[in-house]
Amino acid sequence: MSTETGAGTDATDAGNSPASSIDTESVRAVAKKDFQDAVRSWLFWGLSAFFFTLMAALAGFLSWANPDNFTTISFIALVSQVCKLIIPLIALLLGWKAIAGEREAGSIKILLSLPHSRKDVLLGKLLGRTAVLSLSLLIGFLIAMVAVVFAVSEFSFPAYIAFLAMTIVYGLAYMSIAVSLSSLTRSTTMAGAAMFGIFVLFYIVWNSIRTALGLLMQRGYIEGVTYTTTGLTGQQIETTRLPDWALFIDMIDPGNAYQNTITLFSALSSDRIGTRFPTAAFPDGLPFFLQDWFSLLILLFWIAVPLAVALYRFDRVDI
Amino acid sequence: MPAITVDELTKRFGQTVALEALSFQVEDGEVFGFLGPNGAGKSTTINVLLDFVRPTSGSASVLGMDAQRQSREIRQRTGVLPEGVELYDRLTARQHLEFVIDSKDATDDPEALLERVGLTDAIDRKAGGYSKGMAQRLMLAMALVGEPDLLILDEPSTGLDPNGAREMREIVREENERGATVFFSSHIMEQVETVCDRVGILRDGQMVAVDSVEGLRDSVDGGTTLRVTVDRIDDDALQAVRSLPDVTDATVESHAPPTVVVTVDGSKTAVLSALEDRGIEIQDFETTEASLDDVFQSYTTDTETEVHAQ
Repeated sequence: MSTETGAGTDATDAGNSPASSIDTESVRAVAKKDFQDAVRSWLFWGLSAFFFTLMAALAGFLSWANPDNFTTISFIALVSQVCKLIIPLIALLLGWKAIAGEREAGSIKILLSLPHSRKDVLLGKLLGRTAVLSLSLLIGFLIAMVAVVFAVSEFSFPAYIAFLAMTIVYGLAYMSIAVSLSSLTRSTTMAGAAMFGIFVLFYIVWNSIRTALGLLMQRGYIEGVTYTTTGLTGQQIETTRLPDWALFIDMIDPGNAYQNTITLFSALSSDRIGTRFPTAAFPDGLPFFLQDWFSLLILLFWIAVPLAVALYRFDRVDI
Repeated sequence: MPAITVDELTKRFGQTVALEALSFQVEDGEVFGFLGPNGAGKSTTINVLLDFVRPTSGSASVLGMDAQRQSREIRQRTGVLPEGVELYDRLTARQHLEFVIDSKDATDDPEALLERVGLTDAIDRKAGGYSKGMAQRLMLAMALVGEPDLLILDEPSTGLDPNGAREMREIVREENERGATVFFSSHIMEQVETVCDRVGILRDGQMVAVDSVEGLRDSVDGGTTLRVTVDRIDDDALQAVRSLPDVTDATVESHAPPTVVVTVDGSKTAVLSALEDRGIEIQDFETTEASLDDVFQSYTTDTETEVHAQ
């Protein structure tokens, strides 16, 4: 992934790089305007319709395939698999032009002619776009809830809402990545390339890492951890797993972190979704960084870190 | 206290020098025309004033505040009409104005603002369907929100028809009478000459002249051209006119009817008297002032005209 910041236009050459302040009223004003703008786009209405159709179709499918054992949990397990894959795409699609597009059209000058700091604009954009994504999720989830309530044998409202909330946090993480990258680029072409880079990184590269690490372990480049477990027929089997740090790399992926955190807030066990570790593999207990609560921190990391970098950089470039 | 002070401002973009040690002041309460051909550095100067770009060296202050460190306070009290900017296609004029009013914590009425710029009809139409002129009117209305102490208008006449440009100048005058300082950039002289108290001419990132409109006229060769139609003309009379202190040149333009063209810097009646003293009857005369366009041309193109930067 590469970002263009316009070589030679860094303002730091004046030895004078003022950090702008954050004003919550300004952030709110920018977010409101951005929301008003984006909520009128076909993208938003398309998304809402898409979510609703998706949820209703999945609920219908589950109740048809497994009418006796269709629970809220099994619904969430299935839908979260789908959300894990499509939320990033939608967030990148909604967010990639957030700043780069306004810079290209020049309308960023309208925002910055007003008493808003660059940080206000960045935060306002992130909140506005996330609000649009959240609203379309909310519409889709709530309408679909009606279908789910009738289809499942036992509806769990708290689990459903927790699932929605975590999906919104997941969306916020990818929106933070998208808007931040958008602010680091000068053109929408570069921003688009950056979004594609993110897509490749988490959809392809990250998914291959675990396989790659396993291969490296088999060839002896990585020292595995050997443990014994009881096999199906009762005998003791000695197997090898990846070391903790290698397992952690897999946990960093926002999608994995998202699924792991759902288990925190719903009664869903990690057997169904997210990362699962056999108990026998960790006789001394799971290290804290592989536990589900740590995944929440990872998700928060993906919100905070891209944003922090963007807040720092965006203050220092020529518009 | 000057409304704008630019001090030894230099801005480079890579190898390109956009501004080179630019210095000038805009006094509080004046209408200042910031004139220069495209690419002279007008927008870069405005971008520095609004902290869109950071100076390579030198400094700028606006309303007595540092353009970089106190940018938010500056922009709270400044109305800006930026150049080359697209509006938000999906938002109406009302929504655009509400956003500005909200942002500046002002109390203006969107309808009243649009009435001033003549865009009331389009108040609830999305800006995506606006013509260039309509977009420019809306942006002018947005600049007026909150009775700013300073108006920075970057090429405000872009996209406006002559009538629209006249209305825009009228608003500039009204705002100035209210007490606002107006900083007005243009690449067309005639846009600024009727409203501006002073004009600064920028060329290749440097200020080549700052003066009142009258002062600029006087600073360039040319002055006033006097065209006198007479009943007859002779060399003696022509010599007498040429010897007048204010006259730089006098030629016979045609003989039927005899017409003398005199370039004069001062009293025109002295020319007429000199002719009458020689018994020449004056049938008609007209004066043409050196057009400011000529002045602008002389400052911004490579001619032999000597330029005295002030």
